[in-house]
Amino acid sequence: MLAVNGLHANVGDKEILKGLDFAVAPGEIHAIMGPNGAGKSTLSHVLSGREGYTVTAGTATFEGQNLLALEPEQRAQLGLFLAFQYPVELPGVNNTYFLKAALNSIRKSRGETELDAVSFLRLIKEKLKILHLDDSLLKRAVNAGFSGGEKKRNEIFQMALLEPKLAILDETDSGLDIDALRVVADGVNALRSPERSMIVVTHYQRLLDYIQPDYVHVLAKGRIIRSGGKELALELEEKGYGWIDAEGQAA
Amino acid sequence: MTSMISNGFSHWLATAPNTRDSAKLDWLEAQRSAAREQCIGLELPTNKAEAWRYTNLKSLLEQDFTPAKAAIPALEGDDLDKIFIPELVSRRVVLINGRYVPELSALGDLPTGVHIGSLCALLENDPDAVRSRFNQSAIHSPFIALNTAGFNDGVVVLFDCAAVLEQPIELIHISTGMNQPQVAQPRHLIVLGDGAQAMLIERYIGLEDAVYCTNAVIEIALGRDAVFRHERLQMESAKAFHLTGLSLNQDANSRYLGVNIGLGARWSRTELVTQFIGEHAECDLQGLYLAGDGQLMDYHLDVTHAIPNCNSRENFKGILYGKGRAVFDGRVLVAKDAQKSDAAMSNNNLMLSEGAEVDTKPQLEINADDVKCSHGTTVGQLDPEKLFYLRSRGISAPLARRMLCLGFAGEIIHRLHEEVLRDYVTEQVGQRLESAPLN
Repeated sequence: MLAVNGLHANVGDKEILKGLDFAVAPGEIHAIMGPNGAGKSTLSHVLSGREGYTVTAGTATFEGQNLLALEPEQRAQLGLFLAFQYPVELPGVNNTYFLKAALNSIRKSRGETELDAVSFLRLIKEKLKILHLDDSLLKRAVNAGFSGGEKKRNEIFQMALLEPKLAILDETDSGLDIDALRVVADGVNALRSPERSMIVVTHYQRLLDYIQPDYVHVLAKGRIIRSGGKELALELEEKGYGWIDAEGQAA
Repeated sequence: MTSMISNGFSHWLATAPNTRDSAKLDWLEAQRSAAREQCIGLELPTNKAEAWRYTNLKSLLEQDFTPAKAAIPALEGDDLDKIFIPELVSRRVVLINGRYVPELSALGDLPTGVHIGSLCALLENDPDAVRSRFNQSAIHSPFIALNTAGFNDGVVVLFDCAAVLEQPIELIHISTGMNQPQVAQPRHLIVLGDGAQAMLIERYIGLEDAVYCTNAVIEIALGRDAVFRHERLQMESAKAFHLTGLSLNQDANSRYLGVNIGLGARWSRTELVTQFIGEHAECDLQGLYLAGDGQLMDYHLDVTHAIPNCNSRENFKGILYGKGRAVFDGRVLVAKDAQKSDAAMSNNNLMLSEGAEVDTKPQLEINADDVKCSHGTTVGQLDPEKLFYLRSRGISAPLARRMLCLGFAGEIIHRLHEEVLRDYVTEQVGQRLESAPLN
């Protein structure tokens, strides 16, 4: 589904990603872990098409298409979804209007008919239940005045609605207390399917207690320095990033 | 060479009021000739005058405007569809080219103590009802004088004490059938007695793509505890000129809730002048303007707190694109004895293009020492973070921009009381943004 090969990316003159290789097959969950400044968020942003990054070498292919040549909306229309670490507040933009515009933009790009107000509302109420979200959310402006937990739940709610093929969860656990974390993780787990892949980007192992990954990659200084199964996350938790960093230096 | 008002606008002075018989009112004639004299004595404002620093009269003077003709062109069914907002339940008054048209107006049965009708008709039938309230404006604008000297007709709204009208009054100004450049000068008078409550929706519409000018004057007086919602929607034709001079007087505990939406006209200037004559009154002025290629939107606010314990809010937002221009010149004056005045003025502008321009000048003049006053202004672009967020959800860049602009405008649009009108304005703003060059 996603193949990343030799990916290098800069912010300004500074090289952040220094040659990444990994591949995600349908249905797989990959965790990308690493200390602050490792390049985790840069990777999420480069894959989703945010401005401000220059890819200097390497490729990222999504379902056979050159992802890096596409506009952010085209990537989303193909089935890529980024759950933001810091969801953006859009005062004055009504949530329902936003969700409908997003869903119908994606449907239209695939040659599907746009949903009318009634079917859209039916669908959206169904999805709200997955995240234990209240109807009142629909009347509010997107993320405006939301608590940290509400913002993260709103991200997963959008994911539930847009049904992406590949979701990148960028530090979805940051700023969540344990109860909110569980709700978000339950929402994510409810969306797991043999066709849907996920990349879970996180600093802490904690999230992975709730969202169990198939693979764990450790990112440090712009490179994947170790890959393994979910037990790698536990080992990291125990020994800290210093352990792997030291090993990386030694190797 | 200095030019006088009376030279530049000689034709504007020529209009006689639309009274049907020759029953001349001495007091009115005296006021009109005084206004005429004033125009003869006034120099045309140039860019050296502070109030006209950013706005040039040249394009207005270049037109050879003649007074709007008394004969009212007939409207087709299609035209009416363009004008009326079907779901809007209102007491409707229609003016065509500045003149009251009873056939298109639909006032229904009005409750006791409520009078709504043509100014000329009232001058003829019951001039004393008008006399003490007419031309009390505190605005010293040459265009007010021109209107006083040459107004065509207008609407008078009189509410006795405690009179209440549930539905909004809808005042529709239509400009149509103007083959050569014409000027219409409507004159409105609104007086709410103590405790009265009313709402007025004022709309300006041009039916053809013609050159014309509307020079409207509105005088409003609110009694004690009166509540007046006043929503104004300027949608003149693309080649039109528009002037509004609005003067507001508020007695104790009264509330004025005003929303000014400016979308049309090539050149438009709105002057809002308010004063309090009793304590604990509240004046809320909200505004939204859009200006694209070849458009100028000019707003002047002059809010005087001469009395203690009053509240005022001035909040105007603008979206500028193409080579659109806007001027916001807002002044709040707090007099020496007006303690506990509470005033907040803001003007925020969203610039969608390099070629757009806004000159914004909020000013506070505070002469009292125990007040709460603030002002702020911003001129900014769309936030790339917000754009990316929308695009990452599959929304195209043009739609994302439009959504953010509507979000920005939404704060003001949501001040409109009627949901139907909010939807209508959102639609109108959206349409203009859709055809706008957004780079």
